[in-house]
Amino acid sequence: MSRPPLWRLAPWTRAPWLGLRQPAAVIAVLVTSAILACAVASAQLFLSSARSAALQQQLSQRCDEVARPQTGVQSALVDEQFQPLDGGDGSTRPELDGSLLQAWTDDGLAAEPVLATASIGSSSPRSEPAVIGGPDGFPLSAQVSLFHRPAALEHVEVVDRGEEPGIWVPESVAEQEGLAVGDPLTFNTQTAPVAGVYRDLAVASADDPWWCDYRLLFSNEASANTAPPALLLASDERTFYRLATASWGWATRLQQAPVDAASLSVSDVRRQQDVQQRITAGTGLPLEFDGTGVGIAVPNDRLPDVLERAALIESGLRGPVVPVAVAGALLALVLVAAAGSFWADRRATEVRLLAARGVGPVPLAGKAALELGLPALVGAALGWAASRVLIAGLGPADDLDPSATTTAAWAGVAAFAVGLGAASAVAGLRARGTAERPLGAAPRWPARVPWELALLLGAGWCWLLLQSRDAVVSVAYVAQVNGLLVAFPLLAIAGTAVLLGRLITALLPRLRRWAGRRSPAVFLAVNRLTAARLASATLLVAVTLPVAVLGYTATLTASAQTTLDAKVGVQIGAAAAAATVTRFQVTPALEAAGTYVVRYDGSAEAAGDDGGRTDVQVLAVDPDDFADTAFWDDSFADRSLPELMAALTGPEVDGRLPVVAAGLPAGDPDLRLGSTEVPAEVTATARVLPGRRSDDPVVLVHADRLPEITRNAGAAPAAELWTNGDLGAGIDALTDAGAQNIRVLTPGGVQESANFLGITWTFGYLSALAVFVGVIAVGGLLLYLEARSRSRVSGYVMARRLGLSRGAHLRSLLVELVGVAVAGLLLGALLAAGAVALVYRRLDVDLLRPPTPLLDVPWPAIAGTAVATVAVAGLAALYAQRAADRADPASVLREDA
Amino acid sequence: MTPRLQPAGGFTGTGLVKRFRRGAETVSALAGVDLRVDPGEFVALVGPSGSGKSTLLALLCGWETADEGELAYLGPLADRRPDAFGWRDLALVPQALGLVADLSLADNVLLPARLSGTLAAEEPRARSLLTAFGVDHLADRYPHQASLGEQQRVAVARALLLRPAVLLADEPTAHQDRGHADRLLDAVTDAAREGSAVLIATHDEIAWGRADRVLSMRDGVVTEGAAS
Repeated sequence: MSRPPLWRLAPWTRAPWLGLRQPAAVIAVLVTSAILACAVASAQLFLSSARSAALQQQLSQRCDEVARPQTGVQSALVDEQFQPLDGGDGSTRPELDGSLLQAWTDDGLAAEPVLATASIGSSSPRSEPAVIGGPDGFPLSAQVSLFHRPAALEHVEVVDRGEEPGIWVPESVAEQEGLAVGDPLTFNTQTAPVAGVYRDLAVASADDPWWCDYRLLFSNEASANTAPPALLLASDERTFYRLATASWGWATRLQQAPVDAASLSVSDVRRQQDVQQRITAGTGLPLEFDGTGVGIAVPNDRLPDVLERAALIESGLRGPVVPVAVAGALLALVLVAAAGSFWADRRATEVRLLAARGVGPVPLAGKAALELGLPALVGAALGWAASRVLIAGLGPADDLDPSATTTAAWAGVAAFAVGLGAASAVAGLRARGTAERPLGAAPRWPARVPWELALLLGAGWCWLLLQSRDAVVSVAYVAQVNGLLVAFPLLAIAGTAVLLGRLITALLPRLRRWAGRRSPAVFLAVNRLTAARLASATLLVAVTLPVAVLGYTATLTASAQTTLDAKVGVQIGAAAAAATVTRFQVTPALEAAGTYVVRYDGSAEAAGDDGGRTDVQVLAVDPDDFADTAFWDDSFADRSLPELMAALTGPEVDGRLPVVAAGLPAGDPDLRLGSTEVPAEVTATARVLPGRRSDDPVVLVHADRLPEITRNAGAAPAAELWTNGDLGAGIDALTDAGAQNIRVLTPGGVQESANFLGITWTFGYLSALAVFVGVIAVGGLLLYLEARSRSRVSGYVMARRLGLSRGAHLRSLLVELVGVAVAGLLLGALLAAGAVALVYRRLDVDLLRPPTPLLDVPWPAIAGTAVATVAVAGLAALYAQRAADRADPASVLREDA
Repeated sequence: MTPRLQPAGGFTGTGLVKRFRRGAETVSALAGVDLRVDPGEFVALVGPSGSGKSTLLALLCGWETADEGELAYLGPLADRRPDAFGWRDLALVPQALGLVADLSLADNVLLPARLSGTLAAEEPRARSLLTAFGVDHLADRYPHQASLGEQQRVAVARALLLRPAVLLADEPTAHQDRGHADRLLDAVTDAAREGSAVLIATHDEIAWGRADRVLSMRDGVVTEGAAS
């Protein structure tokens, strides 16, 4: 009679149900599969999240309109013979607006007409400058442009107003031209009265987001010599068209669909761009004037730049993130395989019996797959869902691209298949090996090969490559971390941790001899660690790795941020500054608002002996309050800032003023401010001084001791107010003192933070990985405890009978687990410190600006990690003690227990 | 005869009853057991599997409590709860042996001495027992690196180390060949001669012949003499 195939026998046909009889193994596989799927799925989701966040961050720094998909038409209001189109007042304007609005509505985006504007004067594409006549018949001296947008008058500060429709003029123009409400203005053949006077937008409404996208129309953003033309506001659309047509101007009409820029994903924007492109193409209008028509289409052409930049930030992340995710997945895969081994232990009785009857590792692996398939599937699904929730909740943004979610789902499926395969293979091999291995056999050769040396070689290779490459590269002003900077420390940390773990566990037998004369708690703990050297080494490495990676990433992230803040602080001089080139008397209000500094262009003798000169920035400061306000880090100089200020108040040196310099040697610098010679002596030096805004050296001089620098000296003096408080109050004080054309310097303006998102997120992801590895370590710890619980409980029950107290047993657990945790903490901290020391100086996020990288150790985070690690170990010890306490001695010590 | 090193301590049980719930059914593992084992006496407890032998031993060492009846220890052990006995008072060899998996075989034998603070004093005897039982060459191995029979001999050596007043053993020769079984029985007999009260549950008919008395157990009831 032939034997039926194995898969038709009960151990295989009933396997899915048999597996459920081992809840510990089921939970182990479920949890480890979830960890694996989470690791694999998170990379795509994280990149998508980062892409969305980069997009949103950029949009948050720009006007709302930048995010809005739009259509529009820009068209001339007169033909080639200067004959009016659209009836001269827009009344015959084609119904294109309506059809475009309807097209947006059809696509589910309710667009609104937002703008009609005209350029009158020098910037019209089709017409010659028009002449605007004043009430006295003479042309206005001011250049003007005409603007209309529904509800514009609700966003101005009214100075005076009439009842009639007409033109609203800025207060400064009204004063300059002597205009009042009711005065007629002539636009070639058309006339309109001054309907109102409003406070200049640059003064009163600059912060109103409603005007954000039109700032160039009224604000001299670039401090150009010629300010923008005065902005005349048409009170209504008909007036606008009538006057703009008469002036041979042009008009732009837009349909913009309001969107919530804070929740946009790249997919959302691309879809909206597609709709915009389709609707725009439907108009048949060209995108540029080609001489064949009178109008062009005006889509939103700013979003592609934002998208491209977001993609650039994401591509910078992809380099470090993908290898890190792969490394995390491999770690998780090891854990899944360990769960397979755990299953073999739990099912030892049955699999030994099967193995003894000749069943090979492949059928045993098949049995394991059948038993573990369902929990692995559930675990993978949970892992995918967890990655989705975690990235959405903790990632840079919670708006994920649907395609990323789908890709992550497929990654979860792959994780299920690979994980189940690994767990089953290990389970089959271990089941068979357990049955076949002779008692007391030495470990197999693979366990003795120091595979970790390959990791160290890899780290060394990365380090060598890094020597010839930049650690931080800037692509289109977006800083990106070189993947080698991530790979090198990770490989080095992992390889060293495993090597140290191997060496330390090799010393365990000696430790065991030492413990032989110690208390029962220490004796039992050390013997437990020694008896399971591989498990102990794994546990040690599992603690060391996350601690080291977390310490490394947290320190680098904090250092990068501190360095960036310092660069901005040095550039501005303080938290914020306001500058002006106008002259005025310093008032008490100004002194109270911060520290007052006058910046001069100067020159000094260049370092070296070639007799050349170098440009320097000379800052005349008040030593009494400069140190209280100016940005300072102790790494900037060997002396404190107050000590440097004290040097400014010291006696003259051979009739020369004492000055403090960064970038100049001590001694006589042959200082000149413009053409004025200022005898000076550098009595103190610093590596970096606040207020440095170029590569030139900086010289600080006591303002009250500086001789008069005349206007014609060419020193370009600029007054600055540095403050760490309310900049608005400082600006008010400057204005009250008579300053004009005030320029502000704030951190947001100095650095475009999106430039450095890639760096922040790279290390943020690494930190998340470290926490993830920590979760793996906790999972591994629980597996370690569960795998050894049977012998532990049995040993405990018998040891109690032998005279071991409960307290001594608990102490032994604490010594065992907390001891490993503390050893892992120390090793991890040591490795992190080594990696940081090697790397942080190379992590310069902006090579152009001082200072060089600063080190900032996040002690609270590190202390928190230490406390959490020891707490987890302590809780694990309590858990193990509780499990032992609950054991029934009579049943534990029965043979069939 | 070797001088007595331990206080004598036998025990008596009267009308001992122990019931277990098995689903809806109540099973009487012990159905009114009467027995007495005096100091210096070696008693063999025989009976088929499931007759209640292991339950009786668990009750005697304090891991179970009787639902009915009275269990009393004699001499210096009187008026003390068995679950508070030290290894010198009561030692046992459970069916599952109960070796501590993380300790070497030698450390397992020495563990009672270590926990009672007499490690140095008992090391020679531990070596002697390991040698006598033929496991001295395995002293540094872990239990899982030894055969079941070797582990069993180590468990008996551990039980004998401190010369207990009461020695309980559940099938102590079950995994031994005849030679090793005889050596174990010699050691157990010596323990009784030194004053220990010895009760072993066994199927080994040779052990019956070495014992001072044989008790038979069937359906939770103990009777004097070997069952026919």
